[in-house]
Amino acid sequence: MITTTALTKSYKKVPVVRDVSLRCEPGTITGFLGANGAGKSTTLKMIVGLVRPDRGTATIDGRPFVELPNPTRVVGTLLDASAMHPGRSGRATLTIAARLAGVHTRRVEHLLDLVGIADAAEKRVGTYSLGMRQRLGIAQALVGEPGALILDEPANGLDPEGIAWMRTLLRDFADRGGTVLLSSHLLHEVQATADHLVVISGGAVVAAGRLDDLLASSTILVRSPDPGALAAALRAARIDYVAGPGDALTVDVSGGRVTTEVLAGVARDHQVLLTELRQSEANGLEQLFFSLTAAKAAPLQEAAA
Amino acid sequence: MTTSLSPRTHGIDAAPSSALGPIPFARLVRVEWAKATDTRAARWLLALVALSTAGVMLVPVLAPTSFDQTYASYLGVAAVGVAILLPVVAILLLTGEWSQRSVMTTFTQEPRRIRVLNAKLVVSMVLGGGGAVFGGVVTAAGLGLASASGRALEANLTVGAITGYMLFVLLNVLAGVALGALLQSSATAIAACFALPAAFALLGTASTLVSDWIDMNTTWNWVLENDWAGHVPQISFSIVFWVGVPLAAGFVRTTRRDVT
Repeated sequence: MITTTALTKSYKKVPVVRDVSLRCEPGTITGFLGANGAGKSTTLKMIVGLVRPDRGTATIDGRPFVELPNPTRVVGTLLDASAMHPGRSGRATLTIAARLAGVHTRRVEHLLDLVGIADAAEKRVGTYSLGMRQRLGIAQALVGEPGALILDEPANGLDPEGIAWMRTLLRDFADRGGTVLLSSHLLHEVQATADHLVVISGGAVVAAGRLDDLLASSTILVRSPDPGALAAALRAARIDYVAGPGDALTVDVSGGRVTTEVLAGVARDHQVLLTELRQSEANGLEQLFFSLTAAKAAPLQEAAA
Repeated sequence: MTTSLSPRTHGIDAAPSSALGPIPFARLVRVEWAKATDTRAARWLLALVALSTAGVMLVPVLAPTSFDQTYASYLGVAAVGVAILLPVVAILLLTGEWSQRSVMTTFTQEPRRIRVLNAKLVVSMVLGGGGAVFGGVVTAAGLGLASASGRALEANLTVGAITGYMLFVLLNVLAGVALGALLQSSATAIAACFALPAAFALLGTASTLVSDWIDMNTTWNWVLENDWAGHVPQISFSIVFWVGVPLAAGFVRTTRRDVT
C-alpha cells in the first residue's frame, strides 16, 4: 500500500507539485500519467524520501519511507536507469544492491536471467543500451523481494518485445498481491499496463480512478425507425438527449442514472421499436488525457470509483 | 521463474528477521568498501597513489646531498607522497555517487544518509591507514636502497614520529572527505583540495596569524614532525578549520539535499 496526502513542493517559489494525494492498493497497478514536467518524478522522489516535500506526507505500508529499516525489502524503486556507475558490470551493480538488502547473492544470478541480461552480466553498464539499463534497474528494484514497486518511466528505451515482457512481469507481480506505482507520459503504455490511473497536470492531480471508469463512455446511442416517437418517449421519461449522429439519438448517462437497461424499459413502455442501443464509442484515454492536461490548472475531477 | 516475483516470500533468501531489522553498519561499510575499490577507475587511482608515493621516494634516494639522510625525513617524504593523491581518492568516494547520480539508489537503499556518510568515512580511514602502511613499506625500501649505496642513515624513528606520520596522512584524507561531503561535486572538490591550501599558504606569507593557525603546510607539518610543543592550540584550530567545520556542514547539506 502506497499513500500520499497533499504532497506539495516548490522550487524557487515555482510550484512543481501541488496537493497530490494517491492511494495504491495491493494487487493493483496504478499508472501515474502526465506530460513531461508535470511533476511525476518529483512526486515519486518525495514518496521515497529523495526530495523533501514542503507539505504533505507519503507512506509505504503505513510508514514514511525514511523510517523503513531496510526499504529495499519493502519497496523496490527504479527512478532513473541511467543513474548507475558506468564502470561497474551489471552483475557487480546487482550484487551491491543484493548485499546491502541482505539477500543471498544467488538471487543475483536468478534476476539476471529473469530480466534477460545474463549474457551481458560481465559487461560494464556504460556499454549497455537504455533498454538493458531499464532491465537491470528492474532487477535491482526486485532484488529485495519487495511487496511494492515504484517505477519512473520503466518503459523508456525498451523495445516492443521488452515492453510486453515488462507488462507481463508487472501484472504477475500485482496478481500475487504486489502494489505497483509506475509513471509514464505515454497514454497507450498506461492504458495497456495499469488498472488504476492518476493523471497529473501542472503539478496537480486532474483525474483519478479505475481505468475502466475513466474510459467508460458517458453517453448512450439509441436508434429507432421512428425517431419522433423515441424522442417523445424520452421526453416523457425526463431523459435528456441530443439528436444525432444521423437519425439516432445520443443520451447522457446522467452520472449512471440512465443505462441501456433503463432506455430499453422506456422504449418498451412506449411501444417504440429500437434497432440500436449501445454505449457510444469510448472516446478513449487519449482524448481524456489531452483534454485534462491541456487545462493546466483544471479543477480536480474525481471519477466514480 | 516467476516465483521470484512473489512479494513477501523468502525462499532462498535471508531470514525474515534480516528484512525487518535495520541494515547493519558493518554491511554498509563492506558495501562502501566494494564501491570504492571495484571499478577500473578506482583501481587506477589507487595504483597512481602507490606509484606517486614510490616516485617521490626516489628524491632523497637519488639526491642525497640536498636531503637529510634520516629515517624520519624519509618517512616524511612518504607522507607527502601519500597525502598528495589519497585525499583525491577520499573526495571521489564522497562525490562520485553524486556525479554518477547513483546516490538515487544508495539513498533509497539506506535513507538514513548519515549512516552512508559514516560508512564512507570509515572506508576513507581504512584507505588512509592502508596508504600510511604502504608509505611505511616504501620508506623501508627507500632506506634499504640508500644504505645499499653505502650511505650512513640516522635511525631516529620514535613511536611519536610514527604516530605523527599516521596522523598526518589521516588528517589529509579527512580533509578530502570533508571537502567531498561539503561540495558534492568531484571537479569542484578536487580543485578546492589543491587550491585552498595553496591559497592559505600564500596568505600565510603575509600574515603569521594565517600561517600559524590555518595554513596546513605549517600546522600539519608540526604533526608530521612530531613537534607538538607549544603548537597544540594551533594544530587543533586548523583541524577544526579543515576537517571539523566542512565535515559538519557537509553532513548537514547531504541530509538536506534534494536528490533530483
